[in-house]
Amino acid sequence: MERKIPLPLLVLAVLGFAYMLLPILIVVLAGLTSGEFLTFPPEGLSLRWVIAFLQSEKYLSAFFFSFRLALMTMVVSTILGTAAALFLSRSRFVGRGAMRAFFLSPVVLPGVVVGFALYAFYISAGMGISRTIWGLWIGHILYSTPYVIGTVGAALATYDVSLEEAARSLGASPWRAFRKVTLPNIAQGIQAGSIFAFIVSFGQFEVSLFLSAPNSEPLPIAMYNSLRYKFDPSAAAAGIFAITLVTASVLLTNRLVNIRRLLDRQ
Amino acid sequence: MSFVEFQGVSKSFGDTIAVEKLNIAIEKGEFFSLLGPSGCGKSTTLRMLAGFLPPSTGRISVHGRDITRLPPEARGIGIVFQNYAIFPHMNVFDNIAFGLVERGEQKTEIARKVDAALEQVGLSGYGGRFERELSGGQKQRVALARVLVIEPEILLLDEPLSALDKKMREEMKFWIKDIQNSIGITTIYVTHDQSEALTMSDRIAVMSNGRLLQVGSPREIYEQPSSRFIAEFIGESNLLDVRVTSVNGVSCEVDLGGSLTVPARCSKQVKLSPDERVSLLLRPEMLRLAPMDAQEAPRLKGRIADSVYQGALRRYRVIAGEHDFVVEVPNRPELAQLSSGDQVDVFWSTESGVVVP
Repeated sequence: MERKIPLPLLVLAVLGFAYMLLPILIVVLAGLTSGEFLTFPPEGLSLRWVIAFLQSEKYLSAFFFSFRLALMTMVVSTILGTAAALFLSRSRFVGRGAMRAFFLSPVVLPGVVVGFALYAFYISAGMGISRTIWGLWIGHILYSTPYVIGTVGAALATYDVSLEEAARSLGASPWRAFRKVTLPNIAQGIQAGSIFAFIVSFGQFEVSLFLSAPNSEPLPIAMYNSLRYKFDPSAAAAGIFAITLVTASVLLTNRLVNIRRLLDRQ
Repeated sequence: MSFVEFQGVSKSFGDTIAVEKLNIAIEKGEFFSLLGPSGCGKSTTLRMLAGFLPPSTGRISVHGRDITRLPPEARGIGIVFQNYAIFPHMNVFDNIAFGLVERGEQKTEIARKVDAALEQVGLSGYGGRFERELSGGQKQRVALARVLVIEPEILLLDEPLSALDKKMREEMKFWIKDIQNSIGITTIYVTHDQSEALTMSDRIAVMSNGRLLQVGSPREIYEQPSSRFIAEFIGESNLLDVRVTSVNGVSCEVDLGGSLTVPARCSKQVKLSPDERVSLLLRPEMLRLAPMDAQEAPRLKGRIADSVYQGALRRYRVIAGEHDFVVEVPNRPELAQLSSGDQVDVFWSTESGVVVP
């Protein structure tokens, strides 16, 4: 069935998309410039800076550093977030709402504050992880886990607990009932949450700014540092790769998970 | 000792008492219904028996074995949920096989049993389907097959008909009863629908506000309810405010007011004393409006206030002095059709009037 969209709404939608997508388009085009400097409109198109990116030790190592960090973050966030969402949906106690808000708070707090707070904490606690991948990892987990709690929580909100009870009374132990019945039914939420966690970690800037070390920095920080000294188009080329990676993971999620169905459930 | 026993079982959630000091004894092979309005504690009772909720106090035993603290998977009790709880990520075959797989049975044995179960519930050939491809009635059959295939000692049914349309509900009512009869499994049925409880049960336990009010056969519950609440909850009722004048075993006399004293039945369990204010229960179908020869029948002069045609029946509302009656009369051609304003006599045979405290 085709639905007619009213013209004013259509215009608004196009403007909205343009507002969101134009900067991305500009970055992509700027990365494809053949000129010396990061300008828009580009001075002719070439793959010059893309090749420069691929040959740049600094960018490539930052890209893979980010990728590794995002994967590590994804694994831990998925496990912690799923466990937290399960706990929040299964338990009944006073202050459950406050606890949920607390778990989700890293998303709403200014990243600069969280980053600085962690940095100050690592230093004052003398943990020796203030400028290492481990310190960064903790910061990213803090930031990514709420997304997993959100998506798994949404999946659990519509999950019928009597399915698990049915499994129990048919003879399954608590763990087997969870693994054979609950887990497959909330798997979509977990998958979506883990991809979100990956993307959030990959694009994280503020927390990384405080916690990364000069020799091992995530891609957003590397791009920022290079742009501070030189308006270098290879930063835009790096942006192209980052955008491609994120878009690919969203498309992949969309294939694995019906995001629309997950959102519909709420 | 009875097969299933609840001994002083209570359950509270915080300050709310869901079930209070419950004592129930259920015999082997019995079809036992827990009947009551929503929030009366019947589902909580069922969930405690299934092992999903631990009782706050008291003891539940099956076959004399204390199961109060056993986890659900160790109880050998099958449950069919209101929404059937068919595993959506498994097909019908795997749903039914679930319990057998958990018991570690052989693959060939599982296949044989699942096929037999599908045949038993009339769903042969449906093994490959998924929940979303099944109708409400089919889901229920799958849920029942999934439970019966593990041969539980006790079958729990939690409002299994409430999600079905009326026609399907009637059909499934008899179908469930047939299955229960043929395998003779002890069945505990939770419902808020009095007609389901009356037609299917061997015995009914009526609950309200977490308490057990009365246990008895459908006939006892309907004909000799132990309280006004039950009389009103089960079937339709005319409850007249009366005063006891004399008591003699199971018969007594009550004063209807207006210097009319009539004989009535009273239950053995209820101790009545003269001058006590009680209710006289008269079911609408027990009342007559046409003149009768028997002079001893209680008779009240009244006026038709309202008349509704209902196909098989005609319902009249009759006002007789301070009393207000609903009367149901079968639509037979030889019975006079009355209309609003007509003067009538209301009467009933003495044994159909029951005193309710």
